[in-house]
Amino acid sequence: MMKRILALSLVAAAVSSSVHADVRINGFANLIGGITSSDDTLYGYDDNIGFGEESLFAIQVSGDINDRMTATGQLVARGSDDYEVDFEWAYLTFEATDNTNISAGRFRLPLFRYSASLDVGYSYHWVNAPRSVYSVPFNNLDGLRVDYSNYAGDWEYNLQLSAGTIDNDFTTAGQDANFKGDNVIVLSAEAQYEALKLRGVIGRAKSTVDVPALAPAIGQLRSISPELADLVEFEDDTGEFLGFGVEYDAFDWFVSAEVTSIEATDSYNPDTIAYYATAGIRYGKWTPSLTYEATDADDGPKLLDRVAGFPAPFQGPLTQLLVGIQQSFVEKNDTITAGVRYDYDTNVAFKADVSKYTDDIDESSDATLVRFAVNYVF
Amino acid sequence: MLKMHFKKGCLAALLALTTHIASADVVMVVHPSNADAIDDKVVKRIFLGKEKKFPGGASATPVNQSADSSVRSQFDESILERSSAQVSAYWSKLVFTGKGVPPTEVANDAAVIAAVAADPTAIGYVDSASVTGDVKAISLN
Repeated sequence: MMKRILALSLVAAAVSSSVHADVRINGFANLIGGITSSDDTLYGYDDNIGFGEESLFAIQVSGDINDRMTATGQLVARGSDDYEVDFEWAYLTFEATDNTNISAGRFRLPLFRYSASLDVGYSYHWVNAPRSVYSVPFNNLDGLRVDYSNYAGDWEYNLQLSAGTIDNDFTTAGQDANFKGDNVIVLSAEAQYEALKLRGVIGRAKSTVDVPALAPAIGQLRSISPELADLVEFEDDTGEFLGFGVEYDAFDWFVSAEVTSIEATDSYNPDTIAYYATAGIRYGKWTPSLTYEATDADDGPKLLDRVAGFPAPFQGPLTQLLVGIQQSFVEKNDTITAGVRYDYDTNVAFKADVSKYTDDIDESSDATLVRFAVNYVF
Repeated sequence: MLKMHFKKGCLAALLALTTHIASADVVMVVHPSNADAIDDKVVKRIFLGKEKKFPGGASATPVNQSADSSVRSQFDESILERSSAQVSAYWSKLVFTGKGVPPTEVANDAAVIAAVAADPTAIGYVDSASVTGDVKAISLN
């Protein structure tokens, strides 16, 4: 709450300090409804039609403090938070040169192709960006970002360097959790040559993931081997993020793909590879598309090779604890989605899609989901 | 037979009309004092917010037309090579990340010419038939 008030007053002060401040108010809304096949659940939807899981309403206020400085704040009300209004972004941007911007405050980390406009459904062809890749607990950063964009011949390019901290509550394997990232540093580069766009990103952070539900098991492990407990625990461990994206947009049709890798070696967190590929055609106001996405976080439990070094009576319980702690985070699944977007107007789009989710770990989690959406920007 | 001829005539007239609409020429307009060499790449960059200056180094202020005008959709499709909805989606990406502000929109060709005639940094586009002596017209084809 304190943070929200601070963020609000930062923007308010910045905007009101100048009498000539040019204040812009923009907004966007996604109204998304969905229903799964009977007795299934996916992305929070079940077999009763639901509108709250992905719908959101947002208002952005930005004001020019002077020729080179802008203050921006974004208020978002998400259905998944009972439409409670939250100040998700608040930052100041300083235009150092025509090619260089420096931003400070809280903003979206530029990890993915659609990171920045992830909440603005109007900006992409999907009902929602592929979860396998985009649903990470470290999307927003408190810190600094330097943006540099320029062109060389027919190549346009953009470099972004971000540094700061992350503190975010989220849900993992059905349990409440908190992600903390210190010394976060992310470098991303994007280059475009006519219809072709390439993107690469590399990031690392001293990461801590706190899952209170895991504490008893880690406590038991610690009573046998403090060393193993430290290794399996996700505390102040180096987390590494790698991403690569490619897109070819020929106006009448487009294809794009992104692949990401997340590793935190000395932790229970499995190494995770996620990717998607999507293709669509633009036929007048209609954009039908197909998307395939997958997550692979199933390398087998780590640290089991260490168990052999313990006296025989401890080996059974140790193995059980190590496997038990890691098992709930194992993931291997894929989803195929067929969708269509209809441009009703230059600020309103209608969409619908059908997704078929296949879980390779637990077949009973397989599900089919139908969604429809209205996206609005102003 | 007469009926047939009549129909053909109608069709020809309709065809002539549609070709006329489709080929209405969009031309760029700048202040008469602007001596910059402006090609379609320069226009594309300025109207997509990727470049804030003319090639000569003077700052550039793009003037857009309202989304429902036919000259706008023609400009979006032939010069920006996107539909107006896609251009709007492109800008929504920049606006909501604090990376840009879309060009000001005015109501029609006359308003573009008035804005451009009054501002040496302005650049707009109009139907070639609307060009007056107050502005300098640049054809991109």
